[in-house]
Amino acid sequence: MSATIRIGADVGGTFTDVVLVDGTGQIHTCKLPSTPPNFERAIITAVERLLGAIGAAGEAVAGVAHGTTVATNAVLERRGARTALLTTLGFRDLLELRRVRAPQMYDLFWVKPPPLVERALRLELSERMAADGTPLLPLDENELERVIDQLEREAVESVAVCLLHAYAYPAHERLVGEVLARRLPGVAVSLSHQVLPERREYERSATTAVNAYVQPVMRRYLGDLQASLATAGVAAPLLLMQSSGGLMAAEEAARLPVYALESGPAAGVLAAAVFGQRAGLSELITLDIGGTTAKAALIVGGRPFYSAEYEVGASLSAGNRLVGGGGELIRAPSIDIAEIGAGGGSIAELDAAGGLRVGPRSAGALPGPVCYGRGGTRPTLTDANLLLGLVRPGPIADGQVVINREAAEATVTEQIARPLGIATLEAADGIHRIANAHTLRALRAVSVERGYDPREFTLVAFGGSGPLHAAALARDLGCRRVIIPPSPGLFSAIGLLVSGVERHDVRSCLLIADQGAEDALRAIAADLRSQMLERFAREGFAPELVSLSWSVDARFRGQAHELRIPLPAAPGEHTDALSSDFSAEHLRLYGHADSTTPVELVAVRLVGRTPAPGLELGVGQAVRDSSGERQVYFGQRWGLITTPVVTRTALRQPTNGPLLIDEYDSTIVVPPDARVWLDDLGQVVMELRDGD
Amino acid sequence: MVIDPITREIMRNALASAADEMALALHRTAYSTIVRDCLDFSTSLCDADGQMIAQGVTIPLHLGAVPSAMEQLLSRFPDRIDPGDVFIMNDPFAGGMHIPDIFIIKPIFWDEVRVGFAVATAHHLDLGGRLPGSSACDNTEIFQDGLRIPWLKLYRRGEADGAIFALIEANIRVPDQTIGDIRAQLAACTIGERAVHELIRRYGLATYRAFTADLIIYTERLMRAEIASWPDGSASFTDYMDSDGVGGPPVPLRVTVTIRGDTLTADFSESAPQVRGALNCTRSYAVSVVALCVRAMLREQVPNSAGIFRPLLVITPPGTIVNAVMPAASSMRGVTGFRLIDAMLGALAQLLPERVPAAGEGGNSLVIIGGRRPTGESYVFFELLAGTWGARPDRDGNDGLCNPANIASNIPIELAECEYPVRIERYGLVQDSGGAGQYRGGLAIERSWRLLGSEANLTIRSDRRAYPPYGLAGGEVGAPSSNVLQRSDAKVSLPTMVATGMMHGELIHHQMPGGGGWGDPLDRDPAAVARDVRDDKVSLAAARVRYGVVLDPTDLTVDLMATTALRAALRAERP
Repeated sequence: MSATIRIGADVGGTFTDVVLVDGTGQIHTCKLPSTPPNFERAIITAVERLLGAIGAAGEAVAGVAHGTTVATNAVLERRGARTALLTTLGFRDLLELRRVRAPQMYDLFWVKPPPLVERALRLELSERMAADGTPLLPLDENELERVIDQLEREAVESVAVCLLHAYAYPAHERLVGEVLARRLPGVAVSLSHQVLPERREYERSATTAVNAYVQPVMRRYLGDLQASLATAGVAAPLLLMQSSGGLMAAEEAARLPVYALESGPAAGVLAAAVFGQRAGLSELITLDIGGTTAKAALIVGGRPFYSAEYEVGASLSAGNRLVGGGGELIRAPSIDIAEIGAGGGSIAELDAAGGLRVGPRSAGALPGPVCYGRGGTRPTLTDANLLLGLVRPGPIADGQVVINREAAEATVTEQIARPLGIATLEAADGIHRIANAHTLRALRAVSVERGYDPREFTLVAFGGSGPLHAAALARDLGCRRVIIPPSPGLFSAIGLLVSGVERHDVRSCLLIADQGAEDALRAIAADLRSQMLERFAREGFAPELVSLSWSVDARFRGQAHELRIPLPAAPGEHTDALSSDFSAEHLRLYGHADSTTPVELVAVRLVGRTPAPGLELGVGQAVRDSSGERQVYFGQRWGLITTPVVTRTALRQPTNGPLLIDEYDSTIVVPPDARVWLDDLGQVVMELRDGD
Repeated sequence: MVIDPITREIMRNALASAADEMALALHRTAYSTIVRDCLDFSTSLCDADGQMIAQGVTIPLHLGAVPSAMEQLLSRFPDRIDPGDVFIMNDPFAGGMHIPDIFIIKPIFWDEVRVGFAVATAHHLDLGGRLPGSSACDNTEIFQDGLRIPWLKLYRRGEADGAIFALIEANIRVPDQTIGDIRAQLAACTIGERAVHELIRRYGLATYRAFTADLIIYTERLMRAEIASWPDGSASFTDYMDSDGVGGPPVPLRVTVTIRGDTLTADFSESAPQVRGALNCTRSYAVSVVALCVRAMLREQVPNSAGIFRPLLVITPPGTIVNAVMPAASSMRGVTGFRLIDAMLGALAQLLPERVPAAGEGGNSLVIIGGRRPTGESYVFFELLAGTWGARPDRDGNDGLCNPANIASNIPIELAECEYPVRIERYGLVQDSGGAGQYRGGLAIERSWRLLGSEANLTIRSDRRAYPPYGLAGGEVGAPSSNVLQRSDAKVSLPTMVATGMMHGELIHHQMPGGGGWGDPLDRDPAAVARDVRDDKVSLAAARVRYGVVLDPTDLTVDLMATTALRAALRAERP
C-alpha cells in the first residue's frame, strides 16, 4: 500500500488539533486537551485514534505537518537554554539596550523585559570589521580560547555570536563558529550571518539570541516527537510551519527555530488565502478571535502580507507597532498579524468618569467568563454575547463546562447596566460593540494603515468567536462580504495541510537603482539562487519543483524606511522598471513620490517554494444537532428578534437574516440586513446589504 | 445631542486610530534620522475650533504644543481658511516651539464647512542658521537658530506655493531630507483628513460634532476625578542646569505645585529669567511638561484631548526661561524641558511619594557632527542619545532606556557607519554609574564616535555634571556626565554644552548621567547587589563601600555575617 495519508497537527497551550486527510481526500479531525510539558503525547494519541478510526497503519502516512508554540512559550515563559552571546569589543550591551524604547507612555513604573542573555554571559571578543569589510582588528584567537574556557565553566548550553558587520563580512564569525564547534561539540551555536544576514546590529543580535535561546528546546522537542511518531509506525517526514506560512524540514527547524516561532496563527491565515483563492477571492482580510485576543491579517493578490519583524510577548496595538520595545524582537519573515487584547475573556468595567471599557484586562481561560461558572466574577465579552443570544447556553467542551445565563445576567446588570442607568441588554450590546471597536483597530492596522481600502476586501472569520462578530465588523470596516470556512475552530490545523515547503533568504546591499547596479545585482541574485536551489536539493527537491519569488527593499535615497517591491524576474534583469515601480507603490501608500530623488536598494530577497498539496474541504465535521430558535438582540436598530437557528448542512439555499448557524465550536451570526448561503467549498458566504 | 458612553468609546477608538495612522505614515515616509530613529514628531487632530481631540502615539513633550499653535493660527486667519489650504510655521514667538520644529496644519472640510484640522509636527534635521543641525546651545538670538517661518499658506486651495519651498530650500543645509520630511508631514495630514471624512460619512456630521465636544468634557472629568482623589497640599522644588549654554552660571528651575480640590497649579515664577544661550522655552513647552507629569501620576488612561489642560493652571511670567520673549534663542530648549520635568517630579514626590521615581538621566544628549563628504555634499549626523531611568519607590530604574518624556531610539551602528563618515567604537552601560539606593538607579550609557572624514563641526548638548540626577528617600545621586575629545596628542575634557571643531581621526566619548537611587543603599537586598556584581553593573568595591555588602570574590556569594557587621559600622559612621 502506498503512503497517501497526510496529517496536520496544530498544538496550542490549551488544545491540540489534529486533522487527517485520507487517500480519498476525506478529512477526519480530532481535538484533545494539550499535554504540557510533553506536548507530543496528545499528538500521538490523536494520530493513533484517527488512524484507528479509518483502519490505517502508520506506514500509510506520507507526511506530517506541524504547528507548535513550544518555541514561543520557551521565550514567553523564560524556559529556554542557558545562553551566552559573543559580541565585538565595546558592544556587550547591544542586546540589553535594545532600541532603548518603552512601548508605554506616561508609565513611570514600566519594567524593561530582562534580556534573554544576562550580562555576565555576554562576552566581548577583540575584533572589528569596518563597514566596507576591512578587518580593522583581527580576531584574537588566544582570547577566544579563554572566552570559551569561561563558557565551559558557566555550563552554557547554547551560544549566539553576533559581530559587527558580519551580515556582509562574516569571516570572523565563521572562525568563532569553527572554534566553538571544535571546543564545545555538544553546545548549540547560532551565528548571526547564518540566522539573519541583514544590516542592523540590534535586530540581528536579538534574532540570533532568540534562536540560540530556543534551539536546544526545539531540538529536544522535535527529537521526542519524531521518536514517538516512529513508535506509532509513522516514519514519514516531519515538517514544521514557519511564521511565514511555509513549511520547513524538522532538521532545519531544529537549527533555525526562530523562523518557526509564530506557526499557529500563520497557518490559519495561509488556509484563508488558499481557500479564498479557490473560491475566486484573492483580496481578503482575516479575522481570528479566540479567548484572549483578536488577530487580523491581510491577503493581497492571494498572498498574505508579510512583516519583516515583530516582537514576541509585546502587545501589538497600533501604537506599540510604532514604538516597540515591549517584547523580544525577531526579524524574520512572518505573516503580518495585528493582535489586540479583545477576546471572549476580555473584562468590561467602568472608569472613574463613568466610561465603559472592555479589556485589555482578561479573565483568560481561568477563571474565564462568569457564565462558565468557574469562579469568574467580572463581566466579559462572552457573558455579553450570551445575554445577546449569540452564544448557546448549556454544556460545551464535552460537558466539562455548562454555560449559565443567570450568573452572567446578574453580573452585567450589577456592574455595568445599573451604574450607567441603562437596560441590561443595552449594556451587553455596548460591551459587544466596544469590543468590536477595539478589534476594528487591528483590522484597520493591517488594511488602512498599509494603504488598502477595506471596502475592496472580503472578511474571512474563524477562531471560536470570529464568526460571532464578523458581520458587525465587516459593516464597520466597509467590507461587503464575509466568509466563514468549514471547521472554523480547527482552521489552523487545516492550514498545515495546504502549505508547501518554503525558504527565505536575503542579502543586504546599498545600490542606486538604474546606475550601473545591474552587475552587482546579478552577482547577488546568482549567489542567492544557487544557495537556495542547493539547499532544496539536499531535501530532495529538484530545481524545477522550486518556484522562486524575488523582491527588493527599496527607498528614496536618504529615507528611513524601505518598501518591499516584488520583481517579476531576478534582479539585474529588468532594473529599468524598478524605480518607477517603487515610485508607484510609494505614491499609492503615502500619496506622494519624488521622482527626482534616486531610488536606493538596500536588500535583495528570495523566497523559494515547492507546490502546495491540494485539499478538498467538504462542509467540515458533522455539527451537533442544533435547531429551533433563540431570542437575539441585534442592537437598538432592530431590537430583540426571534431568530431561527440552523446548522451549516441545513443551509441549502440563500437565506436572509436574521439567522444563527450553530457550529461544533462556534456560532455564525447573520444579522437581519445580511443574506447567507453555502458555496461549493462548504464555506458560509454572507453578503451585507447596502445602507445602514 | 447626548453622546452615550458606548458611542463615545467607539468613536474615541476610531479617532485614536486615525492619529496613530497619521503617525505611522509620517514615520514610514520620513527621511531624517531624527524622525525615523528618534521619533521626534507628533500628529494630532483638532475640532473646527482648533481644540485637540486626538494625538498619535508620539513624543509626549509635544502634548501642549498644539493648543497654542491653533490659537495663533485662528487669531491670524479668522476668516481666510479655505478648503485645500495647508499652513506651515516654526516660529516660537507665533505659537511654535523652537526653530527645528515645523508645524504642518491642514484644515479639514466637509461640504465646504470646516470640521477640523490635521496637525503634523516634526523636528527637522536642519533649518539653516549658524551651525549644522540648527541647534547650538551657545546661539544667543533666534536668528542664529535658523530660518524663521511665520504662518504661511504652503498650499492655497490645493495649489503648492513654489516660492515658499524655494525659499526654504535655499536656506538649509540638506534640502532633500528637510523637504522630504515636510512631504511626510503632508502625507500624514492627508491620512488624518481621510479618517475624519470616514467618521463623518459613517456617523453624520451632527453626531461627529457632538462626540468631539463631549470627548473634551469627558477627558476633563477624568482628569478632575483623579486630581480630586489626591491630598490637597503645596510643595516646591528647585533643580538646576549646569550652565546657560554659553558658559554662564547654573540656571535654577523652580516650581511650586499646589493641589487644591480638582485643580493643580504649577507656578514657575521663581525660575531663572530668560538666559543668553539657546535654552529658552516657550510657554507651550512648560504647559507640555506639566501635562505630561500630571498624566504620569494618573491611574486611569486619559484620552489625548484638550480636556487634559483644563484642570491645570500653569504660571509662566514673560521674560523668564519658561516663557521667553524676542529675540531669545531656543533651539536647544529640550534640555530645559527635561529639567523642568525633574523639578515638577521633585515637587510631586513630596505630595504623592509612592508615585514618583528618583531623577533619570535628565534627558537626551545631543551629539551633532556636521561636515562635507569628499564629493563636497553636506552631511549632518545627528545623534540623540537616550538615557536611563531613576529608581522607583518599589523597584530599580531601567538600565538604558529613553526618558519617559520622550520616545527616542538609538541609531543602528551598522547603518550609521554605512551612511556617514564616522565609526562608533563603544556603546554600552557604565559600571557603578547608577545612584545607589534600596532600589538602584539605572546605569549611564556611554558612546564614542571617531571621525573618519575631514574636519567637521561638533556640537554637544549635555548636562548634569555639576548637578547630577537626584536620589529620593535617602538614595544617592546618579553619576555625572562627561565629554572627552581624544585629540592626536591629548585627551581634552569638553564642557557639557559645546560647539567646537573635530579633526580627522579624532574620537569623541560621551557618557550620559546615571539615574538617581531610591531609599537607603544599606537597605538593599544583598542578593540584588550580588546579582549586579555578577553582571559587572556594580563593582566588588562599590558593593562594599556604597551598599555595605561583602561578597566572596571568587563565587560572589553574600557573606551575610560580614555584611550585617559592615552595614552596622557604616550606619554608625553616619553623621
